[in-house]
Amino acid sequence: MPGLRGRVVGQHWYTPYVFMLPGLLFYAAMFAWPAVIAIQLAFSDYDIVHPVRFSGLDNFVRLAHDPRVWIALRNSLLFVLMFLPLTVVAPLFLAMLVNLKLRAIQAFRMLYYLPVITSMVAVAVAWRYVFNREGVVNWVLGLFGAGPIDFLLDRHWALPTVVLLEAWKNAGLFMMIYLAGLQSVPSDQIEAATIDGANAWQRLLHVVVPSLRPTFAVTLVLSMLEAMRAFESVYVLTRGGPLDSTLTLGYYIWSKAFEDYDMGYASAVGLLLWAIMIVLAGFNLLVTRRRDV
Amino acid sequence: MARRLYRRTPRISARRVGLYVLLIVVAALFIGPFLILLSAATKPASQDVFGFPPDLIPRPPVLEWFREAWTTIPYARFLVNSVLYVGITVPVYLVVSALTAYPLARIAFRGRGVFFMLFLSIMFLPGELMLIPRFLVMSELGLTDTFAAVILPAILSSLGIFLLRQAFSQIPDEIVEAARVDGANEFAIFWRICVPIVAPTLAVLAILGFVSVWNSFIWPLVVLTSQSKFPIALGIAYLSGVSGTDVRGLAAGTVISLVPVILVFLLLQKRILNSMGGAVKG
Repeated sequence: MPGLRGRVVGQHWYTPYVFMLPGLLFYAAMFAWPAVIAIQLAFSDYDIVHPVRFSGLDNFVRLAHDPRVWIALRNSLLFVLMFLPLTVVAPLFLAMLVNLKLRAIQAFRMLYYLPVITSMVAVAVAWRYVFNREGVVNWVLGLFGAGPIDFLLDRHWALPTVVLLEAWKNAGLFMMIYLAGLQSVPSDQIEAATIDGANAWQRLLHVVVPSLRPTFAVTLVLSMLEAMRAFESVYVLTRGGPLDSTLTLGYYIWSKAFEDYDMGYASAVGLLLWAIMIVLAGFNLLVTRRRDV
Repeated sequence: MARRLYRRTPRISARRVGLYVLLIVVAALFIGPFLILLSAATKPASQDVFGFPPDLIPRPPVLEWFREAWTTIPYARFLVNSVLYVGITVPVYLVVSALTAYPLARIAFRGRGVFFMLFLSIMFLPGELMLIPRFLVMSELGLTDTFAAVILPAILSSLGIFLLRQAFSQIPDEIVEAARVDGANEFAIFWRICVPIVAPTLAVLAILGFVSVWNSFIWPLVVLTSQSKFPIALGIAYLSGVSGTDVRGLAAGTVISLVPVILVFLLLQKRILNSMGGAVKG
């Protein structure tokens, strides 16, 4: 604060605002204004052709009675349940693996990270080949006497396949977050536990995991939000099908808005998704805060 | 597995070999799909793409599918577009983020915390939820189906402002004071002294920006209608929708789209990997 000691030489009252002006303009045009429109639309009817018409709570009444919203909610929940262990637990083991002091370990980190930086569209094409009816995965299943499965055309397998793609694509990111956490675990604690006769599993549970608590808070939130907003993977792999088995809230919003041009209703569903995401993030914040005390 | 990871034994080579085998098996899971893609892209028409057991080595490897992908769709156009999107978005993104973050870190003014929270709130307005209202904003501004419409929403990110603010606030006061005594104005201090010091952070943001613009898909899909403005990711989706595209041709087109990102990644891997964990943790 420019307190009693007065302003720094060369700074005026308007200096910070001049610096922030472009940022504030972009914020207003690309975030604040759209956010206001989103809320306004949720209480309106709008099909792009006719003018916006205020419709009160109609969209929300419709939403509560829309079976596809419930299907999407159920799918998003299933998505989270399958996605969490794959992104919160498995990458911890990956991180422990690439935390070893071995030659060329950096190369392995890089390979595990590769899917993170490539586009969803491109990796989805690759996955179509891998999970093809005559692809590598079905060949492996065949060795065990199972399959073949049409992963993306089967009502029961499509959603797990999409989840697996998202988890595979994001695993490297979660791994690096854990790696940063692991590297700040005090090594003397691990050594002390070793001297006390703790085996590797006990050390993991009683030393490593507790000291990674802040990291878990991050991965848990990230994982839930990623799962809730899953859209691109659904769009490029299954388009919500077969029979709505991969219909997520994100995809439903998109298809209502840009296939049916039912913008008002789509915005209402968007508001629902938004609320869920904020509740999830807030819940996580609360839980992790309390543990820290 | 955990037992292996934590015991620090002096070199038992069998254990070491076991760990490398494990590392390689896991690596195969992560890069296998890319290799299968490459295999499909280079197989001659006479060799099946699928089948049991998998026959992944092309006999002989051919390049005709790359040519096919290149000519089936205006591939060069899409690549040029993506280069333009990256080339315009990333510098503007860096300048706007730096300008915005600077006073939040180095100028004392009333409401600084509020402005910082305002910019962090971007985190809670994810792109997926902004599709509809932003589309309407773009129609209002008469910008649908333009390059500008693709670029504008990508100029501000909470991560950029967050990281740059952190970097700016770590600059020692003495350096800045010395310049101030010499009569430098605030902008000169920002541009000539502080920006060069935070160059490593800017580099990280440039890489992240490049990757996210190159891969961006949903927003261009919504806001663009003319094929001539498609970025590469949209081009691949378009190619996979073109009827009669051979699976090999689609694979080849996809491989081309991956090359720039993978090249940048290989060149700058240390910086990318180190930034990631740190960025999220910070």
